[in-house]
Amino acid sequence: MKILTTVKKVVDVELNIHVEDGAIVEDGLQYVINAWDENAVEATVQLKENNGAQTTLVSIGGPDNTDIIRRCYAMGIEDAIHIDDPSLENADSYVYANVLQKVYEQGEYDLIITGKQAQDTDNGQTGIILAQSLGIPCVSNVVAMEVIDDQHVKVSRLGDAGTEIIELELPALVTVTDSINEPRLPAMRGIMMAKKKKINVMDLAGLGTSFEEVGGNDLKSEIAEYMTSETRQAGQKFEGDPAEITAQVVNLLATEAKAL
Amino acid sequence: MAKVLVVADIKQGVLKGSTAELLSKAKAIGAETAVVAIGSNIESLSSQLADAGSDTQYIADDQSLELFSAGPWASGIVDAANQFEANLIWFGFSESGKAVAPRVAAQLSCACATEITDVVLTGEQIEVVRPATANKVIQRIKVNTEKLVAVVRAGAFEASPDITGTKNVIALTPPEPDLKAVIKELISDASGEIDLADADIVISVGRGAKDQAGIDLVKDLADDLGAGFGSSRAMVDSGLMAHNKQVGQTGKIVAPTLYMAMGISGAIQHLAGMNGSKTILAVNKDPEAPIFNVADYGIVGDLFEVVPILKEEIQKLKS
Repeated sequence: MKILTTVKKVVDVELNIHVEDGAIVEDGLQYVINAWDENAVEATVQLKENNGAQTTLVSIGGPDNTDIIRRCYAMGIEDAIHIDDPSLENADSYVYANVLQKVYEQGEYDLIITGKQAQDTDNGQTGIILAQSLGIPCVSNVVAMEVIDDQHVKVSRLGDAGTEIIELELPALVTVTDSINEPRLPAMRGIMMAKKKKINVMDLAGLGTSFEEVGGNDLKSEIAEYMTSETRQAGQKFEGDPAEITAQVVNLLATEAKAL
Repeated sequence: MAKVLVVADIKQGVLKGSTAELLSKAKAIGAETAVVAIGSNIESLSSQLADAGSDTQYIADDQSLELFSAGPWASGIVDAANQFEANLIWFGFSESGKAVAPRVAAQLSCACATEITDVVLTGEQIEVVRPATANKVIQRIKVNTEKLVAVVRAGAFEASPDITGTKNVIALTPPEPDLKAVIKELISDASGEIDLADADIVISVGRGAKDQAGIDLVKDLADDLGAGFGSSRAMVDSGLMAHNKQVGQTGKIVAPTLYMAMGISGAIQHLAGMNGSKTILAVNKDPEAPIFNVADYGIVGDLFEVVPILKEEIQKLKS
């Protein structure tokens, strides 16, 4: 089984993000591997260990994506393709999906694993659109996965009415959530080995396509501006005798907030 | 004139409140409205679908559609969107909506936006507003296609009390099942539980509850108030609470009238799932817990002590 796993580098959401004149202030931001993609990598490495899968990672982004790719190598990924093309900076989900489609078509993969969404955009679209474009089956929000045979995997999806158990015919795409596993911390030996491994870096021309062909000139949507999120103000905090302050708060919930 | 097709949110045979909310917004922007409903034994919901504010109801009702499957759902919705010539296709916030919306958009070759909180039409130009990056920023998005598929964030639109519709049912050909993604089984969530998405009050439990005894204590308060019962990620990771209870960026996004955070420290991912709530009450032992930065009312204390008093005081109030 050949697996293609997608990994995005995203802004660290734990840090404060400031907006000025409709744009995000770059100063002071830090970038990390998208948390759900790390779950996708862990799921991939587990399939390698348990089922002998071949593992390839693809990441679209600038030169500094190298560090997250090396981290994935250290976790156990065998090969990596890094699509580094400055023209993709403002790409929408469709453009990403088109680029990934090119990568997929050159590799004869059986399974694509992506995180359920990227923490920077919170869109959750690219994987599903990719599967739709490829005409392959897709299950999103996957919390468990097992290989049945060379042509089938069984996945559990967290749906609205409960957990759906779905049998997928390969090739297929799954998007995983953070409940699927606990990503491993790479061991020192893996980190040392990862430093020496080759990363297959290419731009769109190297991939055999162009900005125009992947829809770069024909964005279906674009971010017109960023605005500051309305942050809630801290309200009243009560400390002291539990019986007294709780009674006080219940009274306020009823009379002031009219929430009870 | 804008034509809005709302995808009916039906769970276990019951029409959810988001459908009327989305139709109310559609009418408020002067759009022509229709709903599309897909499922088994749902024909009987057609009057309710009209009352929720739709003027046409596209219904695919077939036994083969008993269990949700993203592929056939997308086909049915695309069929309705084409027949109605919809330019806006809206889903309420749900896992099925998030799974189906990008497929519908890809088939209609149009833009897709998830978790929108507002939509602005200026002539032919469509713009949407949505939070991103765990709610840390708001994006204003310009749509470059004539159509837009969108998933609306929970609580973004309000249902108008005097909304009306017209019953005009159009039966859709049931879409073919997806033979390459076969749903084998649905392990249903416990029946009789209050749906987090619909509840007026949501009470969530965090690490401060420590163990099953703590969870039971908070659950008891939730049952008493008829509240939805949610969880922080920490409690899900420790195996004490089910995955489907997780409130946060990656789990359920809720916007109830009252949200009670019990023993939850307030990680950014959790806040992203509940900071649209009207009123927030937090109970936490640590006076420095970040949850207090978003709470309207904070009680610094041990939930094991506070919850029983809270229950008693609310009972007093109600009687």
